[in-house]
Amino acid sequence: MASIARKNLFEDIPRFIVAQAGIMFAVSLVTIQLGILDGFSRSTTRLIEQSDADLWVSSQEMLHLEVTLPIPLERLLQTRQVNGVERAEALISRSGVWLDSAGHIVPVKVWGFNPGGRLFGNWRMSQGSLSSLQEPYTFITDRSNLGALDLKQVSDVGKIVPLQAKLVGLSEDTQSMASSTSLFASLENANAFGGSGSGNLNCTIQAGQVECLSPLTRSTSPSSSEPPPPPRNLSLEDSISYVLVQAKPDQDLSELKKRLESALPNTRVHTKAEMVEITHTYWRKRTGVGFILGLGATVGVIVGMVVVSQILYSSVSDHIKEFGTLKAMGASDWVVYGVITEQALWMAVLGYVPSMALCLGLGAWTVATKGIVILITPGTAIAILGVTVIMCVGSALFAIQKVTHVDPAIVFKA
Amino acid sequence: MTASHINIANPVRALKRSAFTLPERTLSNLGVWERFDRKAIVARDVEMVFRSGTEPSLVLKGIDLDIPQGEIQLLMGPSGSGKTTLLSILAGILTPTAGSVCLLGQEITRMSKQQLSNFRLNNIGFIFQGFNLFPALTALENVEVALKVKGVRGTVARRDAHELLSQVGLEDRMNYLPRDLSGGQKQRVAIARALVGNPKLIMADEPTASLDSHSGHAVIELLRDLAKKGGRTVLIVTHDSRLIDVADRVAYLEDGILT
Ligand SMILES: Nc1ncnc2c1ncn2[C@@H]1O[C@H](COP(=O)(O)OP(=O)(O)OP(=O)(O)O)[C@@H](O)[C@H]1O
Ligand SMILES: [Mg+2]
Repeated sequence: MASIARKNLFEDIPRFIVAQAGIMFAVSLVTIQLGILDGFSRSTTRLIEQSDADLWVSSQEMLHLEVTLPIPLERLLQTRQVNGVERAEALISRSGVWLDSAGHIVPVKVWGFNPGGRLFGNWRMSQGSLSSLQEPYTFITDRSNLGALDLKQVSDVGKIVPLQAKLVGLSEDTQSMASSTSLFASLENANAFGGSGSGNLNCTIQAGQVECLSPLTRSTSPSSSEPPPPPRNLSLEDSISYVLVQAKPDQDLSELKKRLESALPNTRVHTKAEMVEITHTYWRKRTGVGFILGLGATVGVIVGMVVVSQILYSSVSDHIKEFGTLKAMGASDWVVYGVITEQALWMAVLGYVPSMALCLGLGAWTVATKGIVILITPGTAIAILGVTVIMCVGSALFAIQKVTHVDPAIVFKA
Repeated sequence: MTASHINIANPVRALKRSAFTLPERTLSNLGVWERFDRKAIVARDVEMVFRSGTEPSLVLKGIDLDIPQGEIQLLMGPSGSGKTTLLSILAGILTPTAGSVCLLGQEITRMSKQQLSNFRLNNIGFIFQGFNLFPALTALENVEVALKVKGVRGTVARRDAHELLSQVGLEDRMNYLPRDLSGGQKQRVAIARALVGNPKLIMADEPTASLDSHSGHAVIELLRDLAKKGGRTVLIVTHDSRLIDVADRVAYLEDGILT
């Protein structure tokens, strides 16, 4: 059966292409904005999701994963005493400054964990292995960070000011888009990297290059042929950021959470889901990110509606006499609405499919080159198809209202 | 004719003329008679006032018209005399400001919009000066669309469309787009489309005006055949005097008055 809608659409190919380009632009804009928002949100909680901890013990003041106050290492030992705890491991997060071979500095986040443990670091490694982190002054980082750190490959060296640090592995899908470059090290190394601090550095800028000096720099300077002493073990006075807890099988987590909170002074205990939620909410709501990306998506929908309305309206105007003829022949209004709606649906589908392909391609490219994830889950893809269809069919209303008011008497006008 | 010579062939007309004078010229009363009289189109006191300018213009002034079934009626007259307006009213597309119209025994001037639309769907085929074909659809598809509107779909629709186009002599042009057809061929597609659902009434506005004399003639012949073979009533608005030969009746409209 002939579809008037489809034929009308393809009747004027250049116009059709312009229209589809407009729809593609709009759909891509929406997809990319939502994809970045999703990819961004997801990236901020990758470390939580990849961890096998059931519960996270933090200071009471924790804001989100990356902003919390230290708690004493003693809490780790106390946690292990609590009934129902199968396993507990420490996690530290420290800030530092990376100094690359060209003398550029990069703010970094150093995560310290037990590489022999089970609860953290369960990500995929694209090169190297976690066990290499046992060596002194080593770290691994996400594969996408190589460029930012000005490193070429595993075993390259740079400085986590003021200590020399060697890259021993590359992880996958671990970098948060919201935070500074993340480095992962053993507890001892991280404590050394973070603890030596940049506060007491003596940095000067010479000919555009940063030169930093500290007691340790001097002791590890090339003039000294001896390797630096290995970092010291953590003592009870040292502070950590989190205690990761795995519950015994069949433990009621909310019960265990209560027990932990009463056993550990000045702490708060979060389930994995709560940690994810707190962190997502922070980034989406407390910062402007969610709003800005949402605004972009809304603009995309509006642009799409304008484009589709214009095209449908002018297509209907071009064929108003034929639509009038259908009405004169006695076709009900619904037949005519059906034609216009079908036209809108064709535009939606034919705009959606290439847009999705484009965005998936773009997403693959940004992940590979920029480490920016444009996350298009099946759920998002379906939601965007829904938005596209609503956008196109909604735009058809203008055209439909034009046809509704067409006077069938125009059919006799020459 | 007198009461003593009642015409056996048409007793109703005879009775009406001899024994009755109608109390009031309303179609509800007339309807009975018109049906027996086999009138396809009856108009009484039709008036049309347009109010688009500064002052209202009376375009039709008390039109009375009776067209028997199966006849070809021409409506002629100078430009602007109101021919198209009258045709639109008789086809149930425009509602007159006063008067009544009865088609096939049903008073269309009393119908709701929906009823009118249904009535047109089932009883009237239209032919236009400008053909009004969907430019993106082939001849076959243009006819199929009309079938679809009338609820015929799929292979049945395709077969019917084939048959109708063959009837108008276009079996070798079924898959042509309107832009690849001559004016006469386009009008024949439109005629095939008007025949969908085998309507009792065909309404045509200047069907030959866009055609050269050769194709105009072919279209005229076709219209005559359709009327005579199918027992259809055909109302044609035209300036084309060649059509007078095929017409059963001719009415002239001048300044909104039939003469
Ligand atoms: N919708 C309308 N609003 C106002 N005036 C109208 C409308 N339609 C027709 N008229 C007027 O009614 C008059 C008759 O118009 P109509 O189209 O019926 O003439 P016509 O006899 O068909 O002329 P032609 O032979 O040129 O087609 C004209 O003066 C026209 O301006
Ligand atoms: Mg006219």
